[in-house]
Amino acid sequence: MQNIERDTLEVDVLFVGAGPASLAGAYKLRQLINAHNAAAEKSGQKGLGEVVIAVIEKGREIGSHMISGAVMDIRALAELLPDYLERGAPLESIVTEEDVSYLTEKRKLKFPIIPPPLDNHGNYVVSLNKLIRWLGPIVEESDVMLLPEFPAAETLFDGDRVIGVRTGDKGIGRDGEIKDTYTPGADIFAKVTVLGEGSRGSLTKKLVQKLKLDRGRNPQVYAVGVKEIWELPKGSVKPGFVMHTLGYPLPDDTFGGGFVYGMQNDLLDLGLVVGLDYRDPFTDPHRLFQQFKQHPAIAKMLEGGKMLYYGAKSIPEGGYYSQPKYYGDGFLIIGDSASFLHSQKLKGIHMAMKSGMLAAEAIFEALLADRYDDEQLSRFRQLVEASYIEKELYEVRNFHQAFENGRLLGLMESGLQWLFGGVGIAGDHLHAKPGHTRIRTLDYVVGWEPKDPGEVPELPAVKYDNKLTFDKVTDVYRSGTEHDEDQPSHLKVLDVNICIEKCTKEYGNPCQYFCPAAVYEIEAEGGGRRPKLNFSNCVHCKTCDIMDPYQIIDWVTPEGGGGPNYINL
Amino acid sequence: MKIIVCLKQVPKNDSILRISETGDWIQDRDLTYEINESDAYALEEALQLKEKHGGEVIALSLGPARVQSVIKEALARGADRGLHLEDPAFDKLDAFGIGAVIAAAAKTEQFDLLLTGLQSDDFGFAQTGVVAAELLGAPHATIVMAVEVAEGSMRVKRELESGYFQWVTLPSPAVLTIQSGINTLRYATLKGIMAAKKKEIKKLDAAALGLDSNVLAPKQQIRRVYFPQKTKLTEMLEGSPSEVAAKLLDRLANEARVF
Repeated sequence: MQNIERDTLEVDVLFVGAGPASLAGAYKLRQLINAHNAAAEKSGQKGLGEVVIAVIEKGREIGSHMISGAVMDIRALAELLPDYLERGAPLESIVTEEDVSYLTEKRKLKFPIIPPPLDNHGNYVVSLNKLIRWLGPIVEESDVMLLPEFPAAETLFDGDRVIGVRTGDKGIGRDGEIKDTYTPGADIFAKVTVLGEGSRGSLTKKLVQKLKLDRGRNPQVYAVGVKEIWELPKGSVKPGFVMHTLGYPLPDDTFGGGFVYGMQNDLLDLGLVVGLDYRDPFTDPHRLFQQFKQHPAIAKMLEGGKMLYYGAKSIPEGGYYSQPKYYGDGFLIIGDSASFLHSQKLKGIHMAMKSGMLAAEAIFEALLADRYDDEQLSRFRQLVEASYIEKELYEVRNFHQAFENGRLLGLMESGLQWLFGGVGIAGDHLHAKPGHTRIRTLDYVVGWEPKDPGEVPELPAVKYDNKLTFDKVTDVYRSGTEHDEDQPSHLKVLDVNICIEKCTKEYGNPCQYFCPAAVYEIEAEGGGRRPKLNFSNCVHCKTCDIMDPYQIIDWVTPEGGGGPNYINL
Repeated sequence: MKIIVCLKQVPKNDSILRISETGDWIQDRDLTYEINESDAYALEEALQLKEKHGGEVIALSLGPARVQSVIKEALARGADRGLHLEDPAFDKLDAFGIGAVIAAAAKTEQFDLLLTGLQSDDFGFAQTGVVAAELLGAPHATIVMAVEVAEGSMRVKRELESGYFQWVTLPSPAVLTIQSGINTLRYATLKGIMAAKKKEIKKLDAAALGLDSNVLAPKQQIRRVYFPQKTKLTEMLEGSPSEVAAKLLDRLANEARVF
């Protein structure tokens, strides 16, 4: 397969991944260029001429892979599109009512006041999915080329300089054979390549490794959020109602919490965030979410309702100290891919958008200077440094690290940080370990030892009644996920022997539990066992790539168009 | 040869469906769309015929602004130009109305072949192509599995029941409704998408097609849409494998009467 003839495309600026960061960045860049060219024309000077901006996206449509909470700070949106209301931005509601509660197994204890970090006064309940489906056409009309169904398969380099990306091949069979429809991926060359792939971007991961962009930084830590959207009886959902919970069903040593948001049209949005630095190898975020719904206070809210949609997403919550160096020769990294996310509020949409807009300013200057090297693009860092997102990130720079020793200590520690402007008890830069190294071996599961390989302890009782609670496969169906079955698995397990010979004994194959989409199964085969990958279930959350204790799972982009078809999430 | 291929945009086939407040159709809020499955095969057939015999492929779609994405997809895969039939008066058409509008649009082109899918995934009437053919005074063949084009005529293979096929020869111009799965769908390439940006999409409304409200008045109407009642009953047969097999055989022979 050496001499493949590939389509090539030369653009000026290429954004990878059509999320809030890239779309805001591409739109902003077009505005800057248009304004410059118009002014230049007026004064009879030469402007920048035609600048081609493209955004590639792995999803079937712009928006189909978009999922978030979300309660959004609309600051960046208002800066990008001051007339967002006239243009019909699909905001569900300004936050009208707030509730922060601690859950025990049976009870709900409401905090008498809203802790300041969780105060959402002035923010909006939104569906990121709806927002991006609305924003996409606006960006496209502004003369930005949007290319859905074109996943970035690899970064193209000239030495260490990024010169573009190669999109994924199409028409390859499950065993790697070439099908009649084989269409090789295209090479897209750009002066600047902007990675806005979202959490744990597959190209970003390899770029960070190759160029050691994480040197001197904390490792990234993540959480995974699983959520459902319910339709409730007419008039029973208050748009703008926002509830956050701590406690049940998460054990004290696990970071995370629940959320319930009221949307328009009787839709209720609820989910559970689970830190991907938990100890218990049998931790199952999807199962925990089902337990969350069984809590009397939550179950009551869902009475008479019907579950419509399901989805899951990982969240980079390492914060300021775990941001990689996000610029270099020929590239910038924006949004979740560069950990532009407020780790305490778990808010990333406004930061993603703003990071994209600041990247646009840096790229605009680079286009004027016609220079795209590390030094020129370091303007992005300067612009971030002078912006409000840097301030927000810096204030909570030690937040997640404080939770590494459990929730109770973490609450105390983060409370003190809040008082003292972000400084941790142990100093001004608290360090962290990657989440997957914190998962404990089977002997940690107290009072239980497997007699046979593959035996599991009794897990918390969840009865899947298909009314309130659903098994993973049922939920995945509600994510609209589809992949052509006749393609190679996009989940590369680098050494299957480790799964059976080491992982079963040491950790009990936690992939079966942490994956919220039932991708991983360990099958009995003959007298032995082997992993089975139902890759077509994958909702692209990247939890496996993040949490696998041996780091032998590599998530790569599947054939273009595959993945969830999220609606309203 | 000049081929017009009719593409309907339908809700994605695994959409979560909710009944509209008026109770006579599904809610169109929160739906995503795709090309009707058999229409995609009709498009592929048109592209392959063009590659073999030369000519032109025109992608036609009827509906609101959103259906332009279907036309663009066809242009990216290799269709030469688009026809977008859009008018508020087209919103609530039945199969006859859709067939009539398509026929009127087809008359503006000297076509050799008009292709549609076998039936739509949403209404499933399987009438549009046949009605259009009748109104155009052109011969038609339905459930087409293969197309062989000769000078001024074509030979097509039709699917009948129980695994039987029929070969029919028709003069052109003709209308064919294409069965799913008769070819292998191609992917849109980056080059194709770039080329599609320069291709023309012509818009035609009721006035441009000379259609009056008489033609467009619905001849049939959906009164009510509802979910089928679940009457499925699962019964587990118990016993050893051979006992279960005997019981199963008995039920198949005497209750289901499949033998």
